[in-house]
Amino acid sequence: MTDQAATILAALGGVANIIDIEPCTTRLRSEVRDATLVDVAALRAAGAHGVMIAGRVVQVVMGPSVDTLASEIDDLM
Amino acid sequence: MRHSELKYVRVRDYLRSLVTHELAVGEAIPSERLLCERFGVSRMTVRQAVDALVVEGLLQREQGRGTFVAPAKMDLEVRLASFGEDMRRRGMEPSSTVLAAEEVAATPDIADALDLLPGEQVFYLHRVRFADGEPIAIEQSWLPSRLTPGLFDDGPPASVYGELRRRGLEPEWGEDTVAATEVDARDGELLGLRVGKAVLRLSRRTFAGQVACVYSRSSYRADRYVLWVPLRAPKRALTPHATGDGQPAGGEQTDIGPSTTRAEQ
Repeated sequence: MTDQAATILAALGGVANIIDIEPCTTRLRSEVRDATLVDVAALRAAGAHGVMIAGRVVQVVMGPSVDTLASEIDDLM
Repeated sequence: MRHSELKYVRVRDYLRSLVTHELAVGEAIPSERLLCERFGVSRMTVRQAVDALVVEGLLQREQGRGTFVAPAKMDLEVRLASFGEDMRRRGMEPSSTVLAAEEVAATPDIADALDLLPGEQVFYLHRVRFADGEPIAIEQSWLPSRLTPGLFDDGPPASVYGELRRRGLEPEWGEDTVAATEVDARDGELLGLRVGKAVLRLSRRTFAGQVACVYSRSSYRADRYVLWVPLRAPKRALTPHATGDGQPAGGEQTDIGPSTTRAEQ
């Protein structure tokens, strides 16, 4: 599902917007440079079951596949 | 005032150690008079110490009889098991009273939790859960009607997770949020708690694969449960490998930046 990884990375504002990304059991937790560049609708469309944004921290609810997803995103960074 | 505060702490800590190491559940603690003599303090100081442990749930007062060691609180483990499965694992017999079992239109908050649109039909189940006949929790559950057609046709299922599995929807993962609140009059009566006593409110989304299949809200008696949460250090955060000109910016071993402040959820 590398397509999903690419879509999610783009919806987070692209590599340039990422400070770091961390898989947290069921959520992909990312610190971004600019939270206004995050496209919540696109994240939902890519399979997210919820998106929580607090300051520059974005949490995307994905389920246990988040570990695989994070390493696929890592390959794209 | 500081002096008497310390005295109260000494009595409290003595009692705490007595309760933890020496006395069994249901045994009485030493009388106020005895404690006054032993620590050379006033009755008021002894009462303050006992009160503190009653509030903590270690002791319980029975009017006219005395003060006794309270039953240990059960660990409420945040795991994806149903109430019934969890109670049986503890060697207790689960049972339920059904307060409501009906098909309703999803309100926006329920729809959101179940990845539905507001107004879509959901099955709603409202139950009091018992362990060995004692009320432990009130649970409200919602399931998408589309996913579990005819859910209540033969009466509400004894186990929602069991019914999901029977239909090929294996609960695989979920998320809980837990909040402490005061019990309201209605739930208080059902749980045998005075209004204003604490309950742990769990909101849970349960998923089978990528399908949100149950949303539930439960209130557990805070005098019988403590929340138990296993912890692990977080996995290493992943950072972008390269800057714009293709030079490695820090490589894969980069730790979480020291200047980044992480907001907890």
